[in-house]
Amino acid sequence: MRNAGYSMEKIKKQRENIMNHESDIMNQKKVGAAMVVGGGIGGMQAALDLAESGIKVYLVETKPCIGGVMSQLDKTFPTNDCAMCTMAPRLVEIGRHKDIEIITLADVEDIEGQPGNFTVTLKKRPRYVDEEKCTGCALCVNNCPVRNIIYTEPEKEELKLSDEDLQRVRVIINNYKNKKGTLVPVLQDISSQYRYLPAEVLRYVADELGYPLSQVYRLATFYNAFSLEPRGKYLISICLGTACHVKGGPSIVEALGRELGIKPGETTEDMNFTLETVRCIGCCGLSPVMKINEDLYGKVTQKKVPGIINEYRTKT
Amino acid sequence: MNNQNIQPINEQTGKHYRMHLMLCAGTGCVSNKSFKIKEVLEKELKKQNLQDEVLVVMTGCNGFCALGPVMVVKPDGFFYQQLQEDDIPHLVEEHFLKGRPVKKLMYTPPEEKEPIPKMMEIGFFARQRLIALKNRGLIDPENIDEYIARDGYKALAKVLTKMAPLEVIEEVKKSGLRGRGGAGFPTGLKWELCRKAKPKSKKQNTKYIICNADEGDPGAFMDRSIIESDPHGVLEGMIIGAYAIGANNGYIYIRAEYPLAMERLELAIKQAEDYGLLGENIFDTGFNFDIKIQKGAGAFVCGEETSLMASIEGRPPEPRQRPPFPAQSGLWGMPTNINNVETWATVPSIINRGAEWFASIGTEKSKGTKVFSLVGKINNTGLVEVPMGTTLREIIYDIGGGIPDGKEFKAVQTGGPSGGCIPKEMLDLPIDYERLAEVGSIMGSGGMIVLDEDSCMVDIAKYFLQFTNDESCGKCNSCREGSEALLEILDKISNGKGEEGDIEFLEELGQAIKDASLCGLGQTLPNPVLSTLRHFRDEYEQHIKHKKCPAGVCKALVQYFVDEEKCTGCMLCAKNCPQDAITGKRKEPHTIDQDKCIKCNMCYEVCKFNAIQRK
Ligand SMILES: Cc1cc2nc3c(=O)[nH]c(=O)nc-3n(C[C@H](O)[C@H](O)[C@H](O)COP(=O)(O)O)c2cc1C
Ligand code: FES
Repeated sequence: MRNAGYSMEKIKKQRENIMNHESDIMNQKKVGAAMVVGGGIGGMQAALDLAESGIKVYLVETKPCIGGVMSQLDKTFPTNDCAMCTMAPRLVEIGRHKDIEIITLADVEDIEGQPGNFTVTLKKRPRYVDEEKCTGCALCVNNCPVRNIIYTEPEKEELKLSDEDLQRVRVIINNYKNKKGTLVPVLQDISSQYRYLPAEVLRYVADELGYPLSQVYRLATFYNAFSLEPRGKYLISICLGTACHVKGGPSIVEALGRELGIKPGETTEDMNFTLETVRCIGCCGLSPVMKINEDLYGKVTQKKVPGIINEYRTKT
Repeated sequence: MNNQNIQPINEQTGKHYRMHLMLCAGTGCVSNKSFKIKEVLEKELKKQNLQDEVLVVMTGCNGFCALGPVMVVKPDGFFYQQLQEDDIPHLVEEHFLKGRPVKKLMYTPPEEKEPIPKMMEIGFFARQRLIALKNRGLIDPENIDEYIARDGYKALAKVLTKMAPLEVIEEVKKSGLRGRGGAGFPTGLKWELCRKAKPKSKKQNTKYIICNADEGDPGAFMDRSIIESDPHGVLEGMIIGAYAIGANNGYIYIRAEYPLAMERLELAIKQAEDYGLLGENIFDTGFNFDIKIQKGAGAFVCGEETSLMASIEGRPPEPRQRPPFPAQSGLWGMPTNINNVETWATVPSIINRGAEWFASIGTEKSKGTKVFSLVGKINNTGLVEVPMGTTLREIIYDIGGGIPDGKEFKAVQTGGPSGGCIPKEMLDLPIDYERLAEVGSIMGSGGMIVLDEDSCMVDIAKYFLQFTNDESCGKCNSCREGSEALLEILDKISNGKGEEGDIEFLEELGQAIKDASLCGLGQTLPNPVLSTLRHFRDEYEQHIKHKKCPAGVCKALVQYFVDEEKCTGCMLCAKNCPQDAITGKRKEPHTIDQDKCIKCNMCYEVCKFNAIQRK
């Protein structure tokens, strides 16, 4: 109940009040009713438990109906139980319980009194339907003309792929058409052609293969091998596997950083070098290990770093 | 095809050679230019007119990666190491022409003077027992005939023509083989569950076999090595498994960081298909089986079986709740059996030599041999295969040759990010699944990282937490947030901001993460912290109470000094210091300007006299 209209300040004041009247509490007349604010799964269960112990319950909810977020979920963590199967019996029970009164479309305005005897002011918004007479048959819902406005897709932006790009990507996609589980291999092929995953190409792939763009991005950002930024001409992968770590891998990263002026994940301004770290390339016997494109360097020391980099500098 | 084709073929070309030079072409040696060496060797052999007598064979990983490129001369078994192009003319003339082995290129153990000429006399090789790696360095992995010549595909022929699927499962069960991918689940039992699993429906009655070659443990490389040196061994194991289970489709999920292994697998599959060992109607028995390769894209969690299958299907590779187990509902909802590379590679030997033979090796509950990648602060880094029950001492000292530079052994880390550290007091621990679990570590995939006195245990724990924190898929809270919280505290401790009570909090939080996580990644992620706390608690306390890092690793807690007694004033450190923080005259002790020093460790690395101290 985020917009309950009841400020933190007021609650604090109320608490102070209660503390001051602590001694009075015992003398107060107690009321055999409770109010549960919020009709989500937690509120529903609380209401049921209270009502089962013989207390009259007012269940207040700001939305037009109870159920909360759980009614939108498919499965719940960690047991993977079906959300609706957990909720439905409680919904029915609450609806039927003679001691639970549901007050929907209502916000708490004010609370007064002390534990044992509160007076709550609710502000109830109109439903525009006679609640006494409505049976919930849904006939009006289905026939409301406003609800039935046809949804139209927003117009798509034009994809800006050059002819050359289009051709390259088409070839890749055609290799995998009509096969199962092809998204990752397609991304891998694009990555090896472009050395990164360009945004337009990803959008094109999503359209062509019929995946939601969100899923394409989810995979593209999950795997370490993919990059959404263009990489430099030489990709330096420095191993930070366990063997390389204990043999001084981190100091090589620093030495490279000093030499190139970049941190892992970055590219030099002239687009020549990109620095990345990997977790083991399977040459642990030669640790610490570094790879520049396809060339492997074993037993690297800080001292050797400038020399190795210069070799590539002169090549460019 | 029929069985007659499966016969030892003597030589690749039909010719007889006097000598075979087995030159290593594993990833490590290739990076040390072994293909260039091959070129020079062949040129020199031709010059001496020996090309019809001596043949150069490019083999898979030999295992002794630290000495690459390495070469073994058959049939005598001479072992040459660290070959350079310039050595080759001399070597060819002296040894291959005149018959005088070249001492200079042989292996000399550290702190000894005489070189050891033959491979099998070197401690590193002599004490190993090879099953999964039986063909390493002996065959050309790109040639199926050489595999067949060494009894390759014989087990498959036996299984397909003489054994019923259930008999095969029974044999594997009897052998006591357990999964080599980490958890050590009995392989035969797993096959049986999958064999008995009901198909999804009448129409969809396929079953799948998967080979897990995702080798995520940083510091382990046995799966890569097995595939690079003996790809057909893995294929044969898979075909046998497929027959036993009744599957017709197989996948090999291999990580993207292993291009050479991938290439060799592709070639091997193609060759096996050409020979009719894969595809339709294998050996005329009506049995069909094909294998596809799926490339990973660099995510550790993809090694977990349910996540791996999601990755193959193109879904986000997040683990899911088990049950249902893959044996009931795996890839695309079909019953699926997944095993590690090493597990598959062991199967043909079990069929060929019998379950009793296999079960006679090892300890009571852990049978056979296990491959370990022995790396870190150790003289003989490389791959070693030893019987289960071998003690750590044997592995580290007899095979590994001890710790370099006369430093002291401190601990060994096994099981990767899910494992723990075993301290030096437990050197005599026989290694098997149960014993490792007892001391708070696990077998894992067999990574064995040796740590010496210069390694800080807080730093190691922090390293693994950084790893798991990066690799956590984020699906479940306890793993995603828990790893973050653990890491934060470890970071604090290593930066000298540790407080009283941090250790207890680490323990409590670690236990909570173990209990509440969804998959193996989260359930085991606190292990590196908990095991170092268990065995090295005082080191944590030193960091927290005295703000000291005894090993001199945690940068915030150390300073670099020059030992005036030892410094000879050679100026090497001053020349290499990137900050120009070291000053001093030639032949006089130097000093380090603490304000300028960035603690890059360069001076410590370059000093030849151990005159730089970290305190
Ligand atoms: C986080 C995590 C990572 C894993 N990584 C690997 C791996 O890299 N290679 C592997 O073979 N098994 C890995 N496993 C184990 C697999 O889930 C699975 O148990 C194994 O492949 C089964 O094969 P096996 O019975 O032959 O051991 C991993 C498990 C977890 C929880
Ligand atoms: S740890 Fe660096 S290559 Fe394996």
